[in-house]
Amino acid sequence: MTLTATRPAATSARAATRPRRPRGRWWLFALLALMSLLTVAPFAAMIIVALSPRGKPTVPVQWPESLTLDNITQVLSASGFAQWTLNSLIYSAVSVVVILITASMAGYAFAKKRFPGRDAMLWTFLATMMVPFQATLIPVFVLISNLNGVDTFWGLIVPTLANSQAVFLMRQFILGLPDELFDAAKVDGASELRVYWTIVVPLTKPIMATLGVFVFLWHWNDFLWPLVLSQSDATRTLTVGLTILRTEELQWSMVMSSAAISAVPCLLVFFLLQRYLVNSIAMTGLK
Amino acid sequence: MRHRLRDPVTGLLFVLPVLVLFLIFRIFPTLGAAGMSLTNWNIGGEWDVVGADNYVRLWNDPNFWASLRVTLVYAAIFVPLTVLVSLGTALLLNAVIFMRGLFRSMLFLPYVTSFVFAGIIWRWIYEFDGLLNGLLTKVDLGPVQVLESSSLVLPALAVVSCWKGFGYSMLILLAGLKAIPGSYMEAARVDGASAWQRFRSITLPLLKPALFFVLVIETISSFQVFDTIYVMTGGGPAKASYTLIYGIYERGFRFFEFGYAATWGMVLFAIVLAISLIQRRFLGRGNT
Repeated sequence: MTLTATRPAATSARAATRPRRPRGRWWLFALLALMSLLTVAPFAAMIIVALSPRGKPTVPVQWPESLTLDNITQVLSASGFAQWTLNSLIYSAVSVVVILITASMAGYAFAKKRFPGRDAMLWTFLATMMVPFQATLIPVFVLISNLNGVDTFWGLIVPTLANSQAVFLMRQFILGLPDELFDAAKVDGASELRVYWTIVVPLTKPIMATLGVFVFLWHWNDFLWPLVLSQSDATRTLTVGLTILRTEELQWSMVMSSAAISAVPCLLVFFLLQRYLVNSIAMTGLK
Repeated sequence: MRHRLRDPVTGLLFVLPVLVLFLIFRIFPTLGAAGMSLTNWNIGGEWDVVGADNYVRLWNDPNFWASLRVTLVYAAIFVPLTVLVSLGTALLLNAVIFMRGLFRSMLFLPYVTSFVFAGIIWRWIYEFDGLLNGLLTKVDLGPVQVLESSSLVLPALAVVSCWKGFGYSMLILLAGLKAIPGSYMEAARVDGASAWQRFRSITLPLLKPALFFVLVIETISSFQVFDTIYVMTGGGPAKASYTLIYGIYERGFRFFEFGYAATWGMVLFAIVLAISLIQRRFLGRGNT
Protein backbone atom coordinates (compact mmCIF):
# COMPACT_ATOMS: atom_id res chain seq x y z
CA MET A 1 0.00 0.00 0.00
CA THR A 2 2.73 2.41 0.98
CA LEU A 3 4.59 1.44 -2.17
CA THR A 4 1.73 2.43 -4.44
CA ALA A 5 1.26 5.62 -2.48
CA THR A 6 4.84 6.75 -2.93
CA ARG A 7 5.04 5.92 -6.63
CA PRO A 8 3.31 9.07 -7.95
CA ALA A 9 5.62 11.20 -5.82
CA ALA A 10 8.64 9.43 -7.26
CA THR A 11 7.50 9.90 -10.84
CA SER A 12 6.79 13.56 -10.33
CA ALA A 13 10.24 13.99 -8.81
CA ARG A 14 11.61 12.27 -11.90
CA ALA A 15 9.65 14.58 -14.14
CA ALA A 16 11.19 17.49 -12.32
CA THR A 17 14.72 16.22 -12.95
CA ARG A 18 14.02 15.34 -16.61
CA PRO A 19 15.10 18.60 -18.18
CA ARG A 20 18.62 18.04 -16.87
CA ARG A 21 18.80 14.63 -18.48
CA PRO A 22 18.91 15.18 -22.27
CA ARG A 23 22.60 16.14 -22.20
CA GLY A 24 23.60 12.46 -22.51
CA ARG A 25 20.85 11.70 -24.96
CA TRP A 26 21.80 13.55 -28.13
CA TRP A 27 24.33 10.97 -29.23
CA LEU A 28 21.83 8.17 -28.70
CA PHE A 29 19.49 10.07 -31.01
CA ALA A 30 22.29 10.59 -33.53
CA LEU A 31 23.23 6.90 -33.44
CA LEU A 32 19.62 5.83 -33.92
CA ALA A 33 19.19 8.26 -36.80
CA LEU A 34 22.36 6.92 -38.41
CA MET A 35 21.22 3.28 -38.06
CA SER A 36 17.82 4.14 -39.52
CA LEU A 37 19.32 5.99 -42.47
CA LEU A 38 21.75 3.13 -43.18
CA THR A 39 18.82 0.71 -43.14
CA VAL A 40 16.79 2.62 -45.72
CA ALA A 41 19.80 3.69 -47.81
CA PRO A 42 19.70 0.57 -50.06
CA PHE A 43 16.06 1.38 -50.91
CA ALA A 44 16.97 4.93 -51.86
CA ALA A 45 19.92 3.75 -53.96
CA MET A 46 17.71 1.20 -55.68
CA ILE A 47 15.10 3.80 -56.59
CA ILE A 48 17.77 6.12 -58.01
CA VAL A 49 19.19 3.34 -60.17
CA ALA A 50 15.70 2.33 -61.28
CA LEU A 51 15.00 5.89 -62.40
CA SER A 52 18.36 6.48 -64.08
CA PRO A 53 18.72 6.53 -67.86
CA ARG A 54 19.97 3.25 -69.25
CA GLY A 55 23.56 2.66 -70.20
CA LYS A 56 24.75 5.12 -67.63
CA PRO A 57 25.85 3.34 -64.51
CA THR A 58 25.04 5.59 -61.59
CA VAL A 59 27.63 3.96 -59.40
CA PRO A 60 29.77 4.89 -57.63
CA VAL A 61 27.40 7.06 -55.67
CA GLN A 62 26.70 9.91 -57.96
CA TRP A 63 23.46 11.62 -58.72
CA PRO A 64 22.25 10.85 -62.25
CA GLU A 65 22.03 13.84 -64.58
CA SER A 66 18.41 13.15 -65.34
CA LEU A 67 15.69 10.83 -64.12
CA THR A 68 13.43 8.78 -66.33
CA LEU A 69 10.49 6.43 -66.04
CA ASP A 70 11.59 4.53 -69.16
CA ASN A 71 12.88 1.52 -67.23
CA ILE A 72 9.68 1.19 -65.26
CA THR A 73 7.42 1.37 -68.32
CA GLN A 74 9.63 -1.03 -70.23
CA VAL A 75 9.58 -3.56 -67.40
CA LEU A 76 5.81 -3.30 -67.09
CA SER A 77 5.35 -3.98 -70.80
CA ALA A 78 7.98 -6.73 -70.99
CA SER A 79 6.65 -10.18 -71.72
CA GLY A 80 6.33 -12.28 -68.63
CA PHE A 81 6.44 -9.56 -66.03
CA ALA A 82 2.70 -8.86 -65.99
CA GLN A 83 2.01 -12.59 -65.97
CA TRP A 84 4.36 -13.17 -63.02
CA THR A 85 2.72 -10.34 -61.11
CA LEU A 86 -0.72 -11.80 -61.75
CA ASN A 87 0.54 -15.25 -60.67
CA SER A 88 1.96 -13.83 -57.45
CA LEU A 89 -1.35 -12.11 -56.79
CA ILE A 90 -3.29 -15.33 -57.36
CA TYR A 91 -0.86 -17.33 -55.19
CA SER A 92 -1.13 -14.81 -52.35
CA ALA A 93 -4.81 -13.89 -52.55
CA VAL A 94 -6.16 -17.45 -52.80
CA SER A 95 -3.92 -18.54 -49.93
CA VAL A 96 -5.06 -15.64 -47.75
CA VAL A 97 -8.74 -16.41 -48.30
CA VAL A 98 -8.49 -20.17 -47.84
CA ILE A 99 -6.14 -20.03 -44.84
CA LEU A 100 -8.33 -17.45 -43.08
CA ILE A 101 -11.44 -19.59 -43.54
CA THR A 102 -9.94 -22.98 -42.70
CA ALA A 103 -7.79 -21.71 -39.82
CA SER A 104 -10.63 -19.78 -38.19
CA MET A 105 -12.96 -22.77 -38.46
CA ALA A 106 -10.37 -25.11 -36.99
CA GLY A 107 -9.36 -22.53 -34.39
CA TYR A 108 -12.98 -22.23 -33.28
CA ALA A 109 -13.40 -26.00 -32.98
CA PHE A 110 -10.10 -26.43 -31.11
CA ALA A 111 -10.94 -23.61 -28.72
CA LYS A 112 -14.64 -24.14 -28.03
CA LYS A 113 -15.64 -27.68 -29.02
CA ARG A 114 -15.07 -31.07 -27.50
CA PHE A 115 -14.52 -33.89 -29.91
CA PRO A 116 -12.59 -37.14 -29.81
CA GLY A 117 -8.87 -36.79 -30.55
CA ARG A 118 -8.88 -33.01 -30.19
CA ASP A 119 -5.84 -32.68 -27.95
CA ALA A 120 -3.88 -35.35 -29.81
CA MET A 121 -4.52 -33.49 -33.06
CA LEU A 122 -3.49 -30.19 -31.56
CA TRP A 123 -0.24 -31.69 -30.30
CA THR A 124 0.49 -33.25 -33.65
CA PHE A 125 -0.04 -29.90 -35.38
CA LEU A 126 2.27 -28.28 -32.84
CA ALA A 127 4.90 -30.94 -33.48
CA THR A 128 4.83 -30.32 -37.25
CA MET A 129 6.04 -26.77 -36.56
CA MET A 130 9.40 -28.29 -35.70
CA VAL A 131 9.73 -29.89 -39.13
CA PRO A 132 11.28 -27.32 -41.47
CA PHE A 133 9.45 -27.08 -44.79
CA GLN A 134 12.73 -27.60 -46.67
CA ALA A 135 13.14 -31.05 -45.06
CA THR A 136 9.84 -32.17 -46.60
CA LEU A 137 10.41 -30.33 -49.88
CA ILE A 138 11.33 -33.49 -51.80
CA PRO A 139 8.41 -35.71 -50.67
CA VAL A 140 5.88 -32.89 -51.18
CA PHE A 141 7.26 -32.26 -54.66
CA VAL A 142 7.15 -35.97 -55.55
CA LEU A 143 3.58 -36.16 -54.24
CA ILE A 144 2.44 -33.17 -56.31
CA SER A 145 4.35 -34.47 -59.29
CA ASN A 146 2.57 -37.85 -59.05
CA LEU A 147 -0.75 -36.04 -58.96
CA ASN A 148 0.29 -34.13 -62.12
CA GLY A 149 0.31 -30.87 -60.20
CA VAL A 150 3.68 -29.53 -61.33
CA ASP A 151 3.34 -26.14 -63.03
CA THR A 152 -0.33 -25.82 -62.08
CA PHE A 153 -1.91 -23.34 -59.70
CA TRP A 154 -3.50 -25.94 -57.47
CA GLY A 155 -0.15 -27.73 -57.14
CA LEU A 156 1.50 -24.45 -56.24
CA ILE A 157 -1.12 -23.31 -53.74
CA VAL A 158 -2.61 -26.34 -52.00
CA PRO A 159 0.49 -27.65 -50.16
CA THR A 160 1.09 -24.19 -48.65
CA LEU A 161 -2.37 -24.08 -47.09
CA ALA A 162 -1.43 -26.40 -44.20
CA ASN A 163 -0.28 -23.60 -41.93
CA SER A 164 0.07 -24.48 -38.26
CA GLN A 165 0.94 -20.93 -37.18
CA ALA A 166 -2.42 -19.71 -38.51
CA VAL A 167 -4.42 -22.44 -36.75
CA PHE A 168 -2.67 -21.78 -33.44
CA LEU A 169 -3.07 -18.05 -33.63
CA MET A 170 -6.82 -18.39 -34.26
CA ARG A 171 -7.21 -20.97 -31.51
CA GLN A 172 -5.44 -18.80 -28.94
CA PHE A 173 -7.52 -15.78 -29.85
CA ILE A 174 -10.88 -17.60 -29.79
CA LEU A 175 -9.95 -19.28 -26.51
CA GLY A 176 -10.01 -15.81 -24.97
CA LEU A 177 -13.59 -15.09 -26.11
CA PRO A 178 -16.29 -15.75 -23.46
CA ASP A 179 -18.19 -19.05 -23.82
CA GLU A 180 -21.51 -17.30 -23.09
CA LEU A 181 -21.49 -15.69 -26.54
CA PHE A 182 -21.56 -19.05 -28.27
CA ASP A 183 -23.91 -20.72 -25.77
CA ALA A 184 -26.45 -17.90 -26.04
CA ALA A 185 -26.58 -18.22 -29.80
CA LYS A 186 -27.02 -21.96 -29.58
CA VAL A 187 -29.83 -21.63 -27.03
CA ASP A 188 -31.52 -19.36 -29.55
CA GLY A 189 -31.37 -22.27 -31.97
CA ALA A 190 -28.68 -20.96 -34.31
CA SER A 191 -26.99 -23.60 -36.44
CA GLU A 192 -23.26 -24.17 -36.08
CA LEU A 193 -22.49 -22.54 -39.40
CA ARG A 194 -24.57 -19.57 -38.36
CA VAL A 195 -22.68 -19.30 -35.07
CA TYR A 196 -19.45 -19.39 -37.02
CA TRP A 197 -20.57 -16.80 -39.51
CA THR A 198 -22.38 -14.36 -37.21
CA ILE A 199 -20.26 -14.66 -34.05
CA VAL A 200 -16.82 -16.16 -34.72
CA VAL A 201 -16.08 -14.24 -37.90
CA PRO A 202 -17.07 -10.74 -36.67
CA LEU A 203 -15.36 -11.19 -33.29
CA THR A 204 -12.10 -12.41 -34.80
CA LYS A 205 -11.83 -9.61 -37.36
CA PRO A 206 -8.77 -7.92 -35.80
CA ILE A 207 -6.78 -11.14 -35.61
CA MET A 208 -7.97 -12.16 -39.09
CA ALA A 209 -6.69 -8.86 -40.46
CA THR A 210 -3.31 -9.43 -38.84
CA LEU A 211 -3.10 -13.01 -40.04
CA GLY A 212 -4.22 -11.97 -43.50
CA VAL A 213 -1.38 -9.46 -43.76
CA PHE A 214 1.18 -12.05 -42.69
CA VAL A 215 -0.11 -14.77 -45.00
CA PHE A 216 -0.03 -12.29 -47.86
CA LEU A 217 3.59 -11.35 -47.14
CA TRP A 218 4.68 -14.99 -46.66
CA HIS A 219 3.24 -15.97 -50.03
CA TRP A 220 4.18 -12.85 -51.97
CA ASN A 221 7.77 -13.24 -50.78
CA ASP A 222 7.90 -17.03 -50.97
CA PHE A 223 10.64 -18.42 -53.21
CA LEU A 224 11.86 -22.02 -52.84
CA TRP A 225 8.49 -23.73 -53.34
CA PRO A 226 7.46 -21.63 -56.39
CA LEU A 227 10.99 -22.10 -57.75
CA VAL A 228 10.72 -25.89 -57.85
CA LEU A 229 7.05 -26.09 -58.73
CA SER A 230 6.58 -23.53 -61.50
CA GLN A 231 8.36 -24.42 -64.70
CA SER A 232 6.85 -21.96 -67.17
CA ASP A 233 5.50 -18.42 -67.19
CA ALA A 234 2.02 -19.87 -66.67
CA THR A 235 2.58 -20.27 -62.93
CA ARG A 236 5.92 -18.52 -62.36
CA THR A 237 5.68 -15.98 -59.53
CA LEU A 238 7.46 -12.63 -59.32
CA THR A 239 10.21 -13.76 -56.96
CA VAL A 240 11.13 -16.58 -59.33
CA GLY A 241 10.80 -14.34 -62.38
CA LEU A 242 13.21 -11.82 -60.88
CA THR A 243 15.93 -14.47 -60.67
CA ILE A 244 15.46 -15.22 -64.37
CA LEU A 245 15.86 -11.55 -65.24
CA ARG A 246 19.07 -11.56 -63.30
CA THR A 247 20.68 -14.33 -65.26
CA GLU A 248 19.86 -12.83 -68.64
CA GLU A 249 22.25 -10.06 -69.56
CA LEU A 250 20.25 -7.07 -68.49
CA GLN A 251 21.13 -3.61 -67.36
CA TRP A 252 21.05 -3.03 -63.65
CA SER A 253 18.58 -0.18 -64.15
CA MET A 254 16.08 -2.70 -65.55
CA VAL A 255 16.71 -5.29 -62.87
CA MET A 256 16.35 -2.67 -60.14
CA SER A 257 13.12 -1.40 -61.69
CA SER A 258 11.72 -4.91 -61.69
CA ALA A 259 12.78 -5.52 -58.10
CA ALA A 260 11.32 -2.20 -57.02
CA ILE A 261 7.98 -2.94 -58.67
CA SER A 262 7.91 -6.40 -57.09
CA ALA A 263 8.17 -4.85 -53.63
CA VAL A 264 5.34 -2.34 -54.14
CA PRO A 265 2.59 -4.50 -52.61
CA CYS A 266 4.75 -5.25 -49.55
CA LEU A 267 5.55 -1.60 -49.10
CA LEU A 268 1.87 -0.68 -49.49
CA VAL A 269 1.00 -3.22 -46.82
CA PHE A 270 3.75 -1.76 -44.69
CA PHE A 271 2.62 1.84 -44.99
CA LEU A 272 -1.09 1.10 -44.59
CA LEU A 273 -1.04 -1.66 -41.99
CA GLN A 274 2.20 -1.10 -40.13
CA ARG A 275 0.47 -0.78 -36.78
CA TYR A 276 -1.11 -4.23 -37.19
CA LEU A 277 2.21 -5.78 -38.14
CA VAL A 278 4.22 -4.17 -35.37
CA ASN A 279 1.71 -4.87 -32.59
CA SER A 280 1.07 -8.44 -33.63
CA ILE A 281 4.76 -9.33 -33.77
CA ALA A 282 5.17 -8.04 -30.24
CA MET A 283 2.06 -9.80 -28.97
CA THR A 284 1.98 -13.10 -30.85
CA GLY A 285 5.48 -13.70 -32.17
CA LEU A 286 4.15 -14.33 -35.68
CA LYS A 287 6.99 -14.44 -38.11
CA MET B 1 -28.40 -30.38 -24.35
CA ARG B 2 -29.20 -31.52 -27.85
CA HIS B 3 -26.46 -29.22 -29.15
CA ARG B 4 -23.88 -30.59 -26.75
CA LEU B 5 -24.51 -34.05 -28.14
CA ARG B 6 -24.00 -32.80 -31.69
CA ASP B 7 -20.69 -31.21 -30.77
CA PRO B 8 -18.38 -34.15 -31.55
CA VAL B 9 -19.54 -34.19 -35.15
CA THR B 10 -19.56 -30.44 -35.75
CA GLY B 11 -16.20 -30.05 -34.03
CA LEU B 12 -14.68 -32.64 -36.31
CA LEU B 13 -16.35 -31.12 -39.36
CA PHE B 14 -14.88 -27.71 -38.57
CA VAL B 15 -11.42 -29.19 -38.19
CA LEU B 16 -11.72 -31.47 -41.20
CA PRO B 17 -10.29 -29.19 -43.95
CA VAL B 18 -7.22 -28.36 -41.88
CA LEU B 19 -6.85 -31.97 -40.76
CA VAL B 20 -6.87 -33.26 -44.34
CA LEU B 21 -4.35 -30.62 -45.45
CA PHE B 22 -2.06 -31.46 -42.55
CA LEU B 23 -2.25 -35.20 -43.04
CA ILE B 24 -1.44 -34.94 -46.73
CA PHE B 25 1.06 -32.09 -46.84
CA ARG B 26 2.78 -32.03 -43.44
CA ILE B 27 2.53 -35.36 -41.64
CA PHE B 28 2.64 -37.75 -44.59
CA PRO B 29 5.65 -35.95 -46.20
CA THR B 30 7.49 -35.94 -42.87
CA LEU B 31 7.19 -39.72 -42.70
CA GLY B 32 7.77 -39.81 -46.45
CA ALA B 33 11.06 -37.94 -46.12
CA ALA B 34 12.32 -40.53 -43.65
CA GLY B 35 11.12 -43.31 -45.92
CA MET B 36 12.56 -41.81 -49.11
CA SER B 37 15.95 -41.36 -47.48
CA LEU B 38 16.12 -45.18 -47.42
CA THR B 39 15.48 -45.50 -51.16
CA ASN B 40 17.23 -44.65 -54.41
CA TRP B 41 14.20 -42.71 -55.69
CA ASN B 42 14.99 -40.90 -58.92
CA ILE B 43 13.27 -38.71 -61.48
CA GLY B 44 11.59 -41.63 -63.26
CA GLY B 45 9.75 -42.47 -60.06
CA GLU B 46 11.33 -45.91 -59.86
CA TRP B 47 12.81 -46.86 -56.55
CA ASP B 48 14.24 -49.68 -54.48
CA VAL B 49 14.84 -49.80 -50.79
CA VAL B 50 18.58 -49.44 -50.34
CA GLY B 51 18.65 -49.37 -46.56
CA ALA B 52 21.24 -47.09 -45.04
CA ASP B 53 23.18 -46.68 -48.29
CA ASN B 54 22.28 -43.00 -48.61
CA TYR B 55 23.46 -42.32 -45.08
CA VAL B 56 26.75 -44.09 -45.73
CA ARG B 57 27.15 -42.08 -48.92
CA LEU B 58 26.34 -38.90 -47.02
CA TRP B 59 28.95 -39.73 -44.40
CA ASN B 60 31.59 -40.18 -47.12
CA ASP B 61 30.44 -37.18 -49.18
CA PRO B 62 32.95 -34.31 -48.90
CA ASN B 63 30.26 -31.97 -50.30
CA PHE B 64 28.03 -32.75 -47.35
CA TRP B 65 30.69 -32.04 -44.75
CA ALA B 66 31.69 -28.87 -46.59
CA SER B 67 28.07 -27.73 -46.66
CA LEU B 68 27.67 -28.46 -42.96
CA ARG B 69 30.79 -26.43 -42.23
CA VAL B 70 29.57 -23.56 -44.43
CA THR B 71 26.18 -23.61 -42.69
CA LEU B 72 27.76 -23.57 -39.23
CA VAL B 73 30.19 -20.77 -40.10
CA TYR B 74 27.33 -18.79 -41.60
CA ALA B 75 25.25 -19.31 -38.43
CA ALA B 76 28.22 -18.34 -36.25
CA ILE B 77 28.43 -15.01 -38.11
CA PHE B 78 24.75 -14.33 -38.73
CA VAL B 79 23.28 -15.10 -35.30
CA PRO B 80 25.54 -12.87 -33.13
CA LEU B 81 25.39 -10.12 -35.75
CA THR B 82 21.60 -10.13 -35.93
CA VAL B 83 21.09 -10.45 -32.18
CA LEU B 84 23.49 -7.57 -31.52
CA VAL B 85 21.99 -5.30 -34.18
CA SER B 86 18.43 -6.00 -33.04
CA LEU B 87 19.34 -5.57 -29.38
CA GLY B 88 21.22 -2.34 -30.12
CA THR B 89 18.42 -0.82 -32.16
CA ALA B 90 15.79 -1.95 -29.61
CA LEU B 91 17.76 -0.31 -26.78
CA LEU B 92 18.12 2.89 -28.82
CA LEU B 93 14.43 2.93 -29.70
CA ASN B 94 13.62 2.44 -26.04
CA ALA B 95 15.89 5.31 -24.99
CA VAL B 96 15.05 7.90 -27.63
CA ILE B 97 11.61 9.48 -27.57
CA PHE B 98 11.88 12.16 -30.25
CA MET B 99 10.84 10.77 -33.68
CA ARG B 100 10.82 7.23 -32.30
CA GLY B 101 7.91 6.10 -34.49
CA LEU B 102 9.64 7.21 -37.67
CA PHE B 103 12.92 5.47 -36.76
CA ARG B 104 11.10 2.27 -35.85
CA SER B 105 9.38 2.27 -39.24
CA MET B 106 12.65 2.89 -41.07
CA LEU B 107 14.41 0.07 -39.22
CA PHE B 108 11.53 -2.34 -39.75
CA LEU B 109 11.05 -1.55 -43.45
CA PRO B 110 13.30 -4.27 -44.97
CA TYR B 111 11.45 -6.97 -43.05
CA VAL B 112 8.38 -6.77 -45.33
CA THR B 113 10.38 -7.32 -48.52
CA SER B 114 11.50 -10.67 -49.89
CA PHE B 115 14.90 -12.29 -49.58
CA VAL B 116 15.04 -12.33 -53.38
CA PHE B 117 14.53 -8.56 -53.40
CA ALA B 118 17.22 -8.15 -50.72
CA GLY B 119 19.56 -10.41 -52.68
CA ILE B 120 19.18 -8.37 -55.85
CA ILE B 121 19.80 -5.01 -54.17
CA TRP B 122 22.82 -6.29 -52.27
CA ARG B 123 24.29 -8.06 -55.26
CA TRP B 124 24.37 -4.67 -56.91
CA ILE B 125 25.89 -3.12 -53.79
CA TYR B 126 28.63 -5.77 -53.69
CA GLU B 127 29.33 -5.69 -57.46
CA PHE B 128 32.84 -4.97 -58.62
CA ASP B 129 31.75 -1.52 -59.80
CA GLY B 130 28.89 -1.34 -57.30
CA LEU B 131 27.94 0.96 -54.50
CA LEU B 132 30.20 -0.50 -51.81
CA ASN B 133 33.28 -0.44 -53.99
CA GLY B 134 32.37 3.07 -55.11
CA LEU B 135 32.47 4.16 -51.48
CA LEU B 136 35.62 2.16 -50.71
CA THR B 137 37.45 3.66 -53.69
CA LYS B 138 36.63 7.14 -52.47
CA VAL B 139 38.52 6.46 -49.26
CA ASP B 140 41.28 4.59 -51.14
CA LEU B 141 40.43 1.16 -49.80
CA GLY B 142 40.24 0.00 -53.36
CA PRO B 143 37.78 -2.33 -55.02
CA VAL B 144 37.11 -5.57 -53.15
CA GLN B 145 35.57 -8.58 -54.87
CA VAL B 146 33.20 -9.40 -52.06
CA LEU B 147 31.09 -12.18 -53.55
CA GLU B 148 34.04 -13.70 -55.42
CA SER B 149 36.12 -14.11 -52.27
CA SER B 150 35.65 -17.35 -50.37
CA SER B 151 36.48 -15.68 -47.06
CA LEU B 152 34.22 -12.64 -47.54
CA VAL B 153 31.20 -14.30 -49.11
CA LEU B 154 29.66 -15.70 -45.91
CA PRO B 155 29.97 -12.47 -43.88
CA ALA B 156 28.57 -10.59 -46.89
CA LEU B 157 25.57 -12.94 -47.08
CA ALA B 158 25.07 -12.70 -43.32
CA VAL B 159 24.89 -8.91 -43.61
CA VAL B 160 22.16 -9.20 -46.26
CA SER B 161 20.02 -11.56 -44.18
CA CYS B 162 20.60 -9.43 -41.11
CA TRP B 163 19.52 -6.29 -42.98
CA LYS B 164 16.38 -8.00 -44.24
CA GLY B 165 15.43 -9.75 -41.00
CA PHE B 166 16.61 -7.92 -37.88
CA GLY B 167 13.46 -5.75 -37.69
CA TYR B 168 11.50 -8.74 -36.43
CA SER B 169 13.85 -9.51 -33.53
CA MET B 170 14.13 -5.80 -32.80
CA LEU B 171 10.37 -5.59 -32.24
CA ILE B 172 10.37 -8.68 -30.00
CA LEU B 173 13.18 -7.20 -27.89
CA LEU B 174 11.54 -3.77 -27.83
CA ALA B 175 8.36 -5.34 -26.44
CA GLY B 176 10.52 -7.09 -23.83
CA LEU B 177 12.17 -3.79 -22.89
CA LYS B 178 8.83 -2.02 -22.60
CA ALA B 179 7.66 -4.71 -20.17
CA ILE B 180 10.42 -3.85 -17.69
CA PRO B 181 8.80 -1.66 -15.00
CA GLY B 182 10.17 1.86 -15.04
CA SER B 183 10.26 1.87 -11.25
CA TYR B 184 13.12 -0.69 -11.26
CA MET B 185 15.25 1.65 -13.33
CA GLU B 186 14.27 4.59 -11.19
CA ALA B 187 15.22 2.79 -8.00
CA ALA B 188 18.60 1.83 -9.45
CA ARG B 189 19.17 5.38 -10.65
CA VAL B 190 18.36 6.76 -7.20
CA ASP B 191 20.87 4.30 -5.74
CA GLY B 192 23.47 5.75 -8.09
CA ALA B 193 23.83 2.83 -10.51
CA SER B 194 25.55 3.74 -13.78
CA ALA B 195 23.93 3.12 -17.14
CA TRP B 196 26.11 0.03 -17.67
CA GLN B 197 25.27 -1.31 -14.20
CA ARG B 198 21.57 -0.77 -14.83
CA PHE B 199 21.88 -2.62 -18.15
CA ARG B 200 23.84 -5.51 -16.61
CA SER B 201 21.78 -6.05 -13.48
CA ILE B 202 18.27 -5.04 -14.53
CA THR B 203 17.74 -4.90 -18.28
CA LEU B 204 19.70 -7.99 -19.27
CA PRO B 205 18.26 -10.42 -16.67
CA LEU B 206 14.69 -9.25 -17.27
CA LEU B 207 15.16 -9.38 -21.03
CA LYS B 208 16.52 -12.92 -20.94
CA PRO B 209 13.34 -14.73 -22.07
CA ALA B 210 12.89 -12.42 -25.08
CA LEU B 211 16.61 -12.58 -25.87
CA PHE B 212 16.55 -16.36 -25.74
CA PHE B 213 13.52 -16.53 -28.01
CA VAL B 214 15.25 -14.26 -30.52
CA LEU B 215 18.42 -16.34 -30.33
CA VAL B 216 16.55 -19.56 -31.12
CA ILE B 217 14.45 -18.03 -33.91
CA GLU B 218 17.50 -16.52 -35.59
CA THR B 219 19.54 -19.71 -35.20
CA ILE B 220 16.81 -21.74 -36.90
CA SER B 221 16.49 -19.17 -39.68
CA SER B 222 20.27 -19.23 -40.22
CA PHE B 223 20.06 -22.95 -40.98
CA GLN B 224 17.32 -22.31 -43.52
CA VAL B 225 19.09 -19.69 -45.61
CA PHE B 226 18.58 -20.29 -49.32
CA ASP B 227 17.01 -17.45 -51.33
CA THR B 228 19.85 -14.95 -51.00
CA ILE B 229 22.42 -17.61 -51.86
CA TYR B 230 20.48 -18.69 -54.94
CA VAL B 231 20.24 -15.08 -56.11
CA MET B 232 23.70 -13.83 -55.15
CA THR B 233 26.26 -16.62 -55.35
CA GLY B 234 24.72 -19.87 -56.54
CA GLY B 235 26.67 -21.61 -53.78
CA GLY B 236 30.00 -20.21 -54.97
CA PRO B 237 32.74 -19.22 -55.23
CA ALA B 238 34.02 -22.81 -55.28
CA LYS B 239 31.20 -23.94 -52.94
CA ALA B 240 32.20 -21.40 -50.29
CA SER B 241 28.52 -20.58 -49.76
CA TYR B 242 27.12 -24.05 -50.46
CA THR B 243 24.76 -24.53 -47.50
CA LEU B 244 22.69 -27.54 -46.42
CA ILE B 245 19.51 -26.30 -48.11
CA TYR B 246 21.43 -25.47 -51.24
CA GLY B 247 22.63 -29.07 -51.15
CA ILE B 248 19.04 -30.36 -50.84
CA TYR B 249 18.00 -28.16 -53.75
CA GLU B 250 20.89 -29.18 -55.98
CA ARG B 251 20.64 -32.91 -55.22
CA GLY B 252 16.88 -32.84 -55.77
CA PHE B 253 16.37 -30.43 -58.63
CA ARG B 254 19.64 -30.42 -60.56
CA PHE B 255 20.62 -34.08 -60.22
CA PHE B 256 17.10 -35.41 -59.47
CA GLU B 257 18.40 -37.83 -56.84
CA PHE B 258 15.28 -37.55 -54.71
CA GLY B 259 16.22 -40.31 -52.29
CA TYR B 260 19.63 -38.84 -51.58
CA ALA B 261 18.22 -35.29 -51.40
CA ALA B 262 15.72 -36.50 -48.79
CA THR B 263 18.67 -37.81 -46.78
CA TRP B 264 20.18 -34.30 -46.74
CA GLY B 265 16.74 -33.07 -45.65
CA MET B 266 16.77 -35.46 -42.71
CA VAL B 267 19.99 -33.87 -41.45
CA LEU B 268 18.39 -30.42 -41.59
CA PHE B 269 15.35 -31.83 -39.78
CA ALA B 270 17.57 -33.33 -37.05
CA ILE B 271 19.39 -30.02 -36.53
CA VAL B 272 16.23 -27.90 -36.31
CA LEU B 273 14.60 -30.48 -34.05
CA ALA B 274 17.61 -30.43 -31.73
CA ILE B 275 17.50 -26.62 -31.51
CA SER B 276 13.74 -26.70 -30.81
CA LEU B 277 14.19 -29.30 -28.07
CA ILE B 278 16.99 -27.31 -26.46
CA GLN B 279 14.70 -24.29 -26.53
CA ARG B 280 11.92 -26.28 -24.83
CA ARG B 281 14.24 -27.46 -22.12
CA PHE B 282 15.64 -24.04 -21.36
CA LEU B 283 12.32 -22.24 -21.54
CA GLY B 284 10.83 -24.84 -19.20
CA ARG B 285 13.60 -24.16 -16.73
CA GLY B 286 13.43 -20.40 -17.10
CA ASN B 287 9.78 -20.33 -16.20
CA THR B 288 10.12 -22.16 -12.88
